[in-house]
Amino acid sequence: MELLLQQLFNGLTIGSVYALVALGLTLVYGILHIPNFAHGALYMVGGYITLIMMTEAGLHYILAMVVSICVVGLLSVLMERLVFYPLRHSPPIQDKVAAIGILLFLEALAQFIWGADYRQMSTPFGQVVEVFGLTLTLQRILIVFAAIAVMILLYWFLKKTFTGSTIIAMAQNREGAQLVGINTHKVAILTFFIAGALAAIGASLTSPINLVFPGMGHLVILKAFVIIIIGGMGSIPGAILGGYILGFTESLGATYLSADYKDIIAFVLLILILSIKPQGIFSKGGV
Amino acid sequence: MKKRKWLSVLVVFTIFFLSACAQSSGGDGEKVVNIGYSGPLSGAAAYYGENTLNGLKMAVEDINKEGFEVNGEKYKLNVVALDDKYLPNETASNGKRLVQENQTPIIFSPHSGGISALQVFNEVDNFIVSAYSSEPDIVERGNTLTVRIPPSYEGYIEPFSDYAMDNFGKKLAAIPPVTQYGKDWAEAIIPYWESAGGEVVHKASVDYSKDTDFFTLLTNALKEEPDVLFIGGPSEPTAKIVSQARQLGYDGGFIVMDQAKLDEMKNVTGSYDVLEGAIGVVPLIYTEYSGTKAFIDKYREKHDKDPGSEAGYHYLAMYVFVEAMKAAGSVDDAKLIRAHIGDGLTNLPDDKKVYDLKQIEENGAIENFIRMGVIKDGEFEEVDLE
Repeated sequence: MELLLQQLFNGLTIGSVYALVALGLTLVYGILHIPNFAHGALYMVGGYITLIMMTEAGLHYILAMVVSICVVGLLSVLMERLVFYPLRHSPPIQDKVAAIGILLFLEALAQFIWGADYRQMSTPFGQVVEVFGLTLTLQRILIVFAAIAVMILLYWFLKKTFTGSTIIAMAQNREGAQLVGINTHKVAILTFFIAGALAAIGASLTSPINLVFPGMGHLVILKAFVIIIIGGMGSIPGAILGGYILGFTESLGATYLSADYKDIIAFVLLILILSIKPQGIFSKGGV
Repeated sequence: MKKRKWLSVLVVFTIFFLSACAQSSGGDGEKVVNIGYSGPLSGAAAYYGENTLNGLKMAVEDINKEGFEVNGEKYKLNVVALDDKYLPNETASNGKRLVQENQTPIIFSPHSGGISALQVFNEVDNFIVSAYSSEPDIVERGNTLTVRIPPSYEGYIEPFSDYAMDNFGKKLAAIPPVTQYGKDWAEAIIPYWESAGGEVVHKASVDYSKDTDFFTLLTNALKEEPDVLFIGGPSEPTAKIVSQARQLGYDGGFIVMDQAKLDEMKNVTGSYDVLEGAIGVVPLIYTEYSGTKAFIDKYREKHDKDPGSEAGYHYLAMYVFVEAMKAAGSVDDAKLIRAHIGDGLTNLPDDKKVYDLKQIEENGAIENFIRMGVIKDGEFEEVDLE
């Protein structure tokens, strides 16, 4: 019983991170129909900015995270302006190639600026707490609750604010949105900013339990793609649900089925879901 | 229009021709020997690759201050380093490129996959594979032009296991990395552990390129209440495993595979207290041979951090090869150089002995001393194996 609870909590922690990253990916996909391969690189830059703000500028962890959110958000916007916007009339393959190009560029840039070494991010929330026989650290509790808070905030923003609804409108029908007077350029910029911010939050929350290094984006990006395919490309509830499904599959699968096959379990799940619902659990448009 | 095209082709050719000339002879009449390197300079293992290359480059810089003489002619070295992203197929194409474009008599490769890939054609293309990997396999394939620099990990199995069993207990949980090297290490230690009367209570593996968090993995390993954890991989993520195991309440010992170094792990855990009971190889900074201190000081000054053994061994190996070239009287005949590695080891100047190496065996393995270190009472301590 204790083992089950511990593994459920472990799955919840990792699922939260996956969901945050997948959310950014699915938002951009919903608006522009670009599978943004560079999202993993934004995640990595987010980790570095938080780390650098803490070590070089001496900021508190939370403040460093705020700076990171802004920087990566702006970087993401810059990416849209400089790369994806000029490519808006070209065939989709060019967007994909461009996204891979940005990924390689940012990784090489990070290695050039910060070096290839693994860095350790300290956290003021390192304490270990025992709750009902479970071993948790404050940082892990923070990951779970911060992720949930961010998701609620995002949901509220998209559903209850005017600006948020423009994003949904554009995801549902681009021409329709233009016809009713929505400035699609502005919406695209906003979406990229949110996606970048989500990547930065995910990275800043996770880095203290792992390490910061140029290749850290790879840890999550492939899984984020699996998640948005499971959840339905472009769907926000799909990304959240998919994230937690994958997190729990990994932790429970490794415990009760086989540790060596935990990735296979996740992919078998992907195949199963796709054979029943080829468009993913929540098919597109149902933001 | 056509004329212009021809002209541009001509210009390009001239540039190539000139640059090729510039490469083959040094500026002031000295000849240059190109030394090949193919290792991970980008991607997840880039840090490791950089460390190995740093050692090699430092040796070359030092050697080039004076140059060296073979058969009355003065030579200098030039490192041609190519990135293989840790992928054996890339190492193979890099190897071909190095031999064809730069005529390198020696190619360094710091990972067993890449080494195997080079061994496929190194005898035909006539170059020595300078192998930095503790995998015993690489010298057991009958390749006549391989020189393995570090000691094989096989020597560590017995002392590490015995010490762990005597001090912590008989229950082992093995969580090696998923790499070939990790699997081979595990396959070597598990039978020994069992034959020595121990019990392996949990077997799994960790993938540092996929796992963001190790809590899941460790929760499963620790539910069997092991006395010793068998772990390894690059120092930093291995250290993360240690600190997360401690968070989960584990208080036993660790057998750390030779790739990870205790001093580098300390940089991540913050102190040796977390690493209490860890058994591993002796880090370079705790090593005291006649050339070690000078090397460490120079490395610290240049790179502003402590060198690891990969840098030390690469530095040392370059000097051994230069001595071998002198003894062989050739800078390009790989077979002749390989035949004189023994002389190279003998003639190695004392002040360059970052490590003390014994002789080279027929199969290309350089005999070495097996040394083991442990963290005891929050301090590093070398264990006398005699």
